Amino acid sequence: MPKTILKVVDVVKRFGGIIAVNHMSMEVYENEILGLIGPNGAGKTTLFNCITGVYRPEEGEIYFMEEKITGLPPHVIIQKGIARTWQKVRPFKKLTVLDTVSVGALLRTPDVDKAREKAMNILEFVGIEKEKWNRLGTEITLIEHKLIDLARALATEPKLLLLDEVAAGLRPHEMDRLAKVLLKIRDEKKITMIVVEHVMRFVMGLSDRIVVMHQGRKIAEGLPQQVASNPKVIEAYLGTKPL
Amino acid sequence: MAKPNKILGIPRRNFYGIIVFALILSTIPVLLRFNTYYVYLATDIILIASLVAAWNIIGGYAGQLDLAASAYMALGAVVTGNLLALYGITPWIGIPIGVLIALSVAVAVGYPTFRFGIKEVWYALLTSALVVILSRIYWLIYGSAETYLPTYQWSWFYLRFSRYEPFYYMLVVMLAIVLWTNYRIRHSKLGYYLNAIREDELAAEALGIDVRKYKLYALMIYATLASIIGGIYVCITGVVGYRNFDPWLGITTAVMGIVGGLGSVEGAVMSAMILRTLEDYLRGTIGAQYPGSHLLVYGIILILVGVLKPEGLASLIDYVKKKIPWLRS
Repeated sequence: MPKTILKVVDVVKRFGGIIAVNHMSMEVYENEILGLIGPNGAGKTTLFNCITGVYRPEEGEIYFMEEKITGLPPHVIIQKGIARTWQKVRPFKKLTVLDTVSVGALLRTPDVDKAREKAMNILEFVGIEKEKWNRLGTEITLIEHKLIDLARALATEPKLLLLDEVAAGLRPHEMDRLAKVLLKIRDEKKITMIVVEHVMRFVMGLSDRIVVMHQGRKIAEGLPQQVASNPKVIEAYLGTKPL
Repeated sequence: MAKPNKILGIPRRNFYGIIVFALILSTIPVLLRFNTYYVYLATDIILIASLVAAWNIIGGYAGQLDLAASAYMALGAVVTGNLLALYGITPWIGIPIGVLIALSVAVAVGYPTFRFGIKEVWYALLTSALVVILSRIYWLIYGSAETYLPTYQWSWFYLRFSRYEPFYYMLVVMLAIVLWTNYRIRHSKLGYYLNAIREDELAAEALGIDVRKYKLYALMIYATLASIIGGIYVCITGVVGYRNFDPWLGITTAVMGIVGGLGSVEGAVMSAMILRTLEDYLRGTIGAQYPGSHLLVYGIILILVGVLKPEGLASLIDYVKKKIPWLRS
């Protein structure tokens, strides 16, 4: 029986009259890649924000490695080992690539020189060439941005990594490059990942399990093939052919 | 473990750069042939440069639009000045006490400000209001009368002199200290975190940075430096009053820091020196015929910089650095 690393129990998040997350529950097992899919507005990013402390849910609890983390602020949650990347890349525009990743590394390694070294190792791991390390945040391509966001998050030594629409805007060969890095993270670094995605090809091929959200709730869960042929899922994605 | 590439916690290049810069500045009074007015002007320029370089910590590194540099400077000035004038306490004790007062105000104001996430425009409004509020409080306590510091011909104990040269050199040392502080921060965890906060607070928080805590650290360091500068300033002018709290200076400090290029302490110092010299030149020429016109020209120059080169003088410095790779830090 695989160990549960994250448990979301009956979480509710409202914005005024809108219920973004409506009694959502799910479990994430150690060392898996969990795909979180659903149509736009299903509440996936909101759920991410609840897990990472950006939002405080109105109801429900979130447990990370048996510890209650509901409502803790973001900088505490990352200390506990949950890192995230962003839907819209958030680079540090006026910092170099190496400085950016070093900021992440400083969380666990307060010595600046050691943090920079660690950052260099991680940049190598995700596949950013040395020549690019001194480029500013404004001078790099989209796929590089995403890999750097990823490297920055990895530098904080997380046990759980939340990836928010990381494949958006990428070309097929870039998606393959990214997928390879994510698999490397799971296999070599033993980090659990939740991947929120719209790009079916990407998430279906990558995930061990899938959870489907619609209108703030979980409507399906299981292996990629199971979920893809689930009529409720197809209905929610009106117009998508089963894969 | 020896780190051969750093001296006193800052890279070699920066350390030697500060020494060389200080030595060059030391020759200025000689070049000015110890002319009283010009040495006074030079002293004032170094003072402003130190203040703007200190501002760089909160404005350039942390990215907060702080308009209260003159508040912390004035706190240092009035505490040091009153302690000397009213109780005969030497500034060597008065200035540290001034620092304590300035720090208390900085924390008292900064803690709730950052706790409630006040930033950008609202932070600017809050800080500019702070100067005025402190000015009013001082006026309520001490009235509109001005207190004069006791005069001594040449006293290192009371920091009062009949010439400006000792102050000039004290301020050159102060400028070196402020520069050292800037470089020290830049190459430390605090510096990296402040840069991240400036660039993107939300992303910074997601990386484990306690944004409020680090902003407060930056504010405290900057307030300390500004209040020391104020303590020295009051010994130069010899006058203590509510007018020490000058809102205009708070604004111009921030403007000079921005024109210099946010985050570049070299740009900040350059910008302060150029603009302060320009201000005095304009005041003496056009300003004499048409009072206040120097402010107009000053303003136009600032707008031009903002429109044509928003990166400030720092971009010019970078350009020069690219041409001379040996200078790269």
